[in-house]
Amino acid sequence: MKHAQFQKSLEKELPVWEEKGWVTKQNSESILEHVGSSESRFNLLAFGIAVLGVLLLGSGIITYFAANWAEMAKITKLILLFSAMYVSFACAGYFLKTDKSPMLGQALLVLGVIIFGANIMLIAQIYHIDEHYPNGVLFWALGGLVTAYLMKSHAVLVLTIALSVLWTSLETFGFNHIHFWYLAIWVTFLPLIYFRRWNFALHLALIALIIWSIYSFFGIDYRDQQITQIYLVQLYFVLYLTLFLIGMLCATTNQLNYFAKPLQNYGAFAALLSFYILTFPEIQRGFRYFDDHLRTQASTVWLALTFSALVLLVILAIWHRSRVTTKEKPKYLIYGQFLIAAVVLLIIFNLFLAGNYGGWMAIALNLLFFAGMIWLLFAGTHTNNRTLINLAFLFFALALITRYFDTFWSLLNRSFFFMAGGIILIIGGYFLEKQRRKLTATIASSSKQVI
Amino acid sequence: MIGMKQWTLSTGTPVLLETQPIDPRSLFRGDYVRLNYSISNLKPSELTGDDEFKKHDVIYVTLKKQKKYCVPQSVTHEAPQENDLYLKGTIQYVSQHSWNQETETSDEITNLQIKYGIENYFVPEYEGLELERRDNDQVVDIRVAIDKYGRSGIKAVLVNDIIKYKETLL
Repeated sequence: MKHAQFQKSLEKELPVWEEKGWVTKQNSESILEHVGSSESRFNLLAFGIAVLGVLLLGSGIITYFAANWAEMAKITKLILLFSAMYVSFACAGYFLKTDKSPMLGQALLVLGVIIFGANIMLIAQIYHIDEHYPNGVLFWALGGLVTAYLMKSHAVLVLTIALSVLWTSLETFGFNHIHFWYLAIWVTFLPLIYFRRWNFALHLALIALIIWSIYSFFGIDYRDQQITQIYLVQLYFVLYLTLFLIGMLCATTNQLNYFAKPLQNYGAFAALLSFYILTFPEIQRGFRYFDDHLRTQASTVWLALTFSALVLLVILAIWHRSRVTTKEKPKYLIYGQFLIAAVVLLIIFNLFLAGNYGGWMAIALNLLFFAGMIWLLFAGTHTNNRTLINLAFLFFALALITRYFDTFWSLLNRSFFFMAGGIILIIGGYFLEKQRRKLTATIASSSKQVI
Repeated sequence: MIGMKQWTLSTGTPVLLETQPIDPRSLFRGDYVRLNYSISNLKPSELTGDDEFKKHDVIYVTLKKQKKYCVPQSVTHEAPQENDLYLKGTIQYVSQHSWNQETETSDEITNLQIKYGIENYFVPEYEGLELERRDNDQVVDIRVAIDKYGRSGIKAVLVNDIIKYKETLL
């Protein structure tokens, strides 16, 4: 809820609470005073203007010196670069410590980290250093991380997460490999997010993890005799399902409840995306680039990784079950467990599948995928989770369109293909959107009733 | 990082290295010069030292002054003795075939492509093109400082033996 909305609803509700004797008049006034004060809210506009101001000032200084860069002695350049960074950090420290203008302090901290990155690049230029170029961005991100920890700065952590994504992008696409080292830096974001309860950084870190997973899918060596892309996506499915389960576990404790929704939503999205990719017949057949080969069973490494992930999933599921004390389990949950069990069995079976049976596997997974989407609609409605409903509709529509294209493209005359596709899209789109609105509206009205 | 580089430049032995443009169209990019030295491509069979190499291996190339330039003598995985003048590098690529321009055939011979960390030279704005479009009779040489650990840094760029760019701290 936005701050102004929150304030308005408090103004409406507090007199009622006073009448009921839940709060005293004095407490009510104190609450309203606190919520209305500038201290209690994060002023995004002020922060934005401060950041823009320091960036403009920094750009002006950099442009001035850039024009005279060639004439300067090396030592002058070094003094300038370090002075700019230290002045920025010193001013940030002053504004943050004296509490005169925390927003400006944060903006100057961000500027300091930006100058730190510029310094890395400029020193490499001054000394003509020709090293592994993504390392420059890695050092930049590490500098940002240290600053975020030392200064407890949310803004700097957000910048660091963005830099880490830039680092893994350069590594993956510049050197064509799966960049496992990214996970090492990614986990270092978590303690700060956990202890400070930084919502935006949490969302960004989860998005960064999904981006890294997608990069790794494209970075894997497809010329391998094993169809490693399939095994990787299967592993993603299990691991993101595990993340979803961790979210469910978080929901069972007050201490971790804050992380429950984001973990569940991003976990569900990435698991569904992985499942959607698994439904492609072309991928299940394997060897897109070597048609003369038949697929072989997974190597020991993939077997070990997949089974380890499955064991982790089962342990977490059992743990979750022991923490939730519902006497009567809703039917939809039992169906859900059957569906997940069926998918897990197919995933295990797929690891050992050899020969030309990928098409059959794709059919089985498609059936389970559509059943899964229908189940997700029920689950979303039952748990009042609008995100799950939206995800179910999104992936249902996506899979429907994809299957239409890859099934009927070669069977139908082109003109009929497009005409039929258009009609299906118009009618299907109308129907799906109507159903989605209906369900989300039901949830909205029921949650209002609860309040 | 700065201290190490400055130490190499200040205390290292200055040597002259021959620079060969492999492809003049891509020799200069923007305002930095991409340098390809004659020691960037080595054939182990023509040198003493080890024979087996693979991508990403760290190697040491011993140099000896011969007329104007320093030329390679050996290529090894182990660092040579301290008294020797040697460069530390990393193998970028190992090819098993080499094009013989005389016979116009592909000979089966191991060729190493090595990176020493001195392949880039940043020049003031707009001066990269000037260097690229030099006359045919102009020769570009690079003066490099090499310290006792085989680390190197560019000290100067020479055109026809005249210093065009010089690296100094002050």
